Amino acid sequence: MSTPAAVTAEATSIAPVVGRRQAGGPRVSKRALGYTLLVVLALVYIVPFAIQIATTFKTDPDATGNPLSLVPNPFTLAAWQRLFAGSTGNYPLYFFNSVFVTVTVTAGRVFFDSLAGYALSRLQFRGRGALFNAVLAVMAVPGVVLLIPKFLVLKQVGMYDHYSGMIIPLMVDAAGVFIMKQFFDSVSISIEEAARIDGAGVFRTFWSVVLPMARPALITLTILSFQGSWNEFTYFLIATQSEAKQTLILALARLSSGQLGSGTQFPLRLAAALFATIPVALVFFAFQRHFVRGANEGGVKG
Amino acid sequence: MSNIDTTVPTTVAPWRPRGSGGSGKGIRAGEGRAGWLFVSPMVIVLGVFLLVPIIMAIWVSTLEWNGQGSPFAGGAKFVGLHNYQSLLVTDGLARKDFMLSLRNTFYYVMFVVPLQTALALFLAVVVNQRYLKGRSFFRTAFYFPSVTSSVAITIVFLFLFQNSGAINKLLSFVGIKGPQWFADPRGLFQVAADKLGLVDIASPPVGLTGNGVLGLTWWDWISGPSVALMAVVFLVVWTTAGTFMLMFLAALQDIPVEVEEAALLDGVGAWQKFRYVTLPQLRPVLFLVLTLGLIGTWQVFDQVYLLGGGNPAKTTLTPAYLSYRTGFNDFNYGNGAAIAFMLFIIITALTLLQRYVLRDKDAIAEKRGRRAQLRGAGAR
Amino acid sequence: MKSSSGRRLAAVAATASLALLTAACGGGGFDNGGSSSSAPTTEKGPVALKMLIASSGDAETNAVKAATAAWAKTSGNTVDVQVAQDIKQQLGQAFAGGTPPDIFYTDAARFPDYAKAGALYAYGDQVTKPDDFYPALKSTFTYDNKFYCAPKDFSTIALQINNKAWKAAGLTDGDIPTTWDQLHAVAKKLTTGKQTGLAIGDTRDRIDAFMVQAGGGLTSKDGATITATAPENVQALEFVKSMLADGSAKFPKELDAGWAGEAFGKGIAAMAMEGNWIKGSQKNDYPDVDYQVAELPAGPKGKGTLLFTQCWGIAAKSTHQAASVDLVNSLTAVDQQLAAATAYGVMPSRTSAKAQYEQKFPEDKAFVAGGEYGVGPVNKPGFDSVLADLDTGLQGLKTGDPKAILASFQKNAEAALK
Repeated sequence: MSTPAAVTAEATSIAPVVGRRQAGGPRVSKRALGYTLLVVLALVYIVPFAIQIATTFKTDPDATGNPLSLVPNPFTLAAWQRLFAGSTGNYPLYFFNSVFVTVTVTAGRVFFDSLAGYALSRLQFRGRGALFNAVLAVMAVPGVVLLIPKFLVLKQVGMYDHYSGMIIPLMVDAAGVFIMKQFFDSVSISIEEAARIDGAGVFRTFWSVVLPMARPALITLTILSFQGSWNEFTYFLIATQSEAKQTLILALARLSSGQLGSGTQFPLRLAAALFATIPVALVFFAFQRHFVRGANEGGVKG
Repeated sequence: MSNIDTTVPTTVAPWRPRGSGGSGKGIRAGEGRAGWLFVSPMVIVLGVFLLVPIIMAIWVSTLEWNGQGSPFAGGAKFVGLHNYQSLLVTDGLARKDFMLSLRNTFYYVMFVVPLQTALALFLAVVVNQRYLKGRSFFRTAFYFPSVTSSVAITIVFLFLFQNSGAINKLLSFVGIKGPQWFADPRGLFQVAADKLGLVDIASPPVGLTGNGVLGLTWWDWISGPSVALMAVVFLVVWTTAGTFMLMFLAALQDIPVEVEEAALLDGVGAWQKFRYVTLPQLRPVLFLVLTLGLIGTWQVFDQVYLLGGGNPAKTTLTPAYLSYRTGFNDFNYGNGAAIAFMLFIIITALTLLQRYVLRDKDAIAEKRGRRAQLRGAGAR
Repeated sequence: MKSSSGRRLAAVAATASLALLTAACGGGGFDNGGSSSSAPTTEKGPVALKMLIASSGDAETNAVKAATAAWAKTSGNTVDVQVAQDIKQQLGQAFAGGTPPDIFYTDAARFPDYAKAGALYAYGDQVTKPDDFYPALKSTFTYDNKFYCAPKDFSTIALQINNKAWKAAGLTDGDIPTTWDQLHAVAKKLTTGKQTGLAIGDTRDRIDAFMVQAGGGLTSKDGATITATAPENVQALEFVKSMLADGSAKFPKELDAGWAGEAFGKGIAAMAMEGNWIKGSQKNDYPDVDYQVAELPAGPKGKGTLLFTQCWGIAAKSTHQAASVDLVNSLTAVDQQLAAATAYGVMPSRTSAKAQYEQKFPEDKAFVAGGEYGVGPVNKPGFDSVLADLDTGLQGLKTGDPKAILASFQKNAEAALK
């Protein structure tokens, strides 16, 4: 069996175990209480998004006058039209930037993280142990304390305000390397060895034998990277300056922090926020199971 | 050869020189080269964009540099520890701001960490009730905010917490006149003391405002989080609880059913079961969540940026944001780097704490794995 | 030997990485300092200028785009106008990043920091008819005895009054306040259930006006000494505090508004203290509100208001300085200034445009009058965080101690002056 036990075990343990103890279950009142609790809690978590969506179709006075109402009165597309009219920024461009950067970063991470994770797990070379300890150490460095020096490095190497500066530094992340290494540690080496005995080179074995086997871990990594780089804010804040390189999240933050007499304009701001949330939401609902697993793995890593 | 390995080692087996035995000696050809080749992208990227910046940060924190010219080619004056001095010793605005940011973050952490842990645990226990249907739907709902952008979520909360916004409207239904949330700089403890009649917030006791330490008066130090910061606390707790809920959930589902059933047979009440059976089993995860929370909360930046950089009255100012502002806005990169470096030390200390706790967790994971195998064997 | 070959290859890989690193570092993003007064770089052929502006709304954005497009057409160059959502942050980073826009709005309060850092190109000597600018504006953009950049326009603070609310409260034109007491009295009358008498911004940019009216000010007239703790200033803050305390005046945030103009437009506040820019936003966002503009009431020491201005900054690192100066001269010509005034309500910075402006906008006489006695902002290098700290104090004015707020500013400002 070559399925990675560590990963699948996690996945199955998350899956609901409905109905195991239905016979002789708790009394009705307890059940009712449980449901009431759940529903109240769910409302706390769902209503803000519902209000957000409703408000994007409201007029400014309606939004401030009836903040709780889920029915826009009157219904208007003004906020959305304004968002894409270009006067508050070039949102299609920001969307493109976000997609471009996210996709490239994710592709890079999946490839380079698994390369490095594989090497650290399987290949025997001098300095491997020290290198892995370095990865562990680097994982602990909090991103926000390096804003100024990262900016300096980008400037020094001439990558400031370029796509390269937004992408390359994010292409490898220590946490991803760690996840991949843990994964390879947990799978059997026998198939690879068979391939190697058949005369395949190291890279060949990695590419055509190991990677296909690593699918579950790769999916987890893809999702974590996608979500992480799409939502990335602070790094892009210091890595770029021009509007041409602005990502959606960055544009959203600036739209909201800019003070200049623009007023509160909540329908517009909430529409922009919703627009920036939709892609991650779609990915989330499509790959929910993997998200759940990713959260647990990412968590263990810090 | 066992191919199930649930122990998740965090160390690498020592490198064994060739010829010391072991299988597959012949197929190990060229691994040294391939190994370095495989890791070289990682080494370069992490080296240039993580290691070098750390060293640069230390260097820049000893300079007086305004962003013009190069800090590495004599474009800046070397001032030694002056920047650290102005943050910690010299009486002035720099120290006052830094101390304010530390105070704010301290209170923020003090509220966020326990609240988010408690909420996460609560959500996990509720979602874990086996007799409830549709639990995966609720799990999704609770977890969803964690995957969305903090910037987007903050904008939603700015709207909800307006003075005449949704939250205050809800409060008004039960007869409470809500505060002005993001516009209210009053400290929570100050407000409480005022309500209890201990002090008058409009004219606080001179004994507290008259003197203080490190640039802040005692009245400022003991203010507690401002009402605005509390709104940020609610926002963050609401957002992050989902992630931690999943960790608790995974742990809850690993508790052997026999243990719980045994407790039930003994006729133990639900609360007692939770308190004496479930909670002890969750200890390692609890520690993990607490330390992760500690580390994460010290880094708060996005929300502060969106609130306009510390508004109202600097009560949401945090070290991370202060470092950024001091550099990019005030053109005092040396001071900004010094703030960042001190924050780095704080977080590193907390991380070491986490590592220490995690070390125990590995041992526990191992036990858990063995138990799972036993269980599997028993079922067969 | 396999192990030695492995080691050698590892060494090669390491060297390669190192080479990559050094090659990358050799790129050298830093060049040295700003040569702020050298002759402009002249160049042939069309150039592409980058301009960064902070816009008060679509009206301003479109007007600037139209004006630059006209220049681009006649000169054969191109101008890319970008609207900054957060110009302070974006400009600061652009200067440090080494590739700032060629030309940009430069706020009077930020000007000294930029000039001191060598980020600005001092082109004052190449401006057409420099002495035509109001002297107060010209001196605002003078640093180290060098006139750096052409004032774009200026605005003053005045009092906006909602006519409907005014009538509803039983007030007439004769009640328009000319003293502090009258202001307080009408604000109280105008404060009803959902309506606040006066919306006032919670920063020095509004509240300082009362200090000027009281005969005080944060600095001495020549700007050499800090005079924040003067009793006149305390008196001014005490007055504002009394209005905040009884709820006849409120800060915009308390009214769920981004700024006083929004509260005024929405009818939450019956009066506002804002500058010329309020005209544009009223016209666009709240066209139905009927209002008039009056001069700010006089204080114990007479009339006083604040004067705001921005200049067209040109980057020291711009490679198109000659073309940029040419563009500025086109934008600050009288006809362009009047066009801007029409579009978004600012006042021309050239004295020769004053007569035409007054003729065209008689309803602006309160704003124009302010130009006579208005006081410019405190602008000294390194003062941004000090002034921001004062704003922090002012945000807490409702319950705070005016003396303590001013004393704290005095202390920090004196430290920053050193």
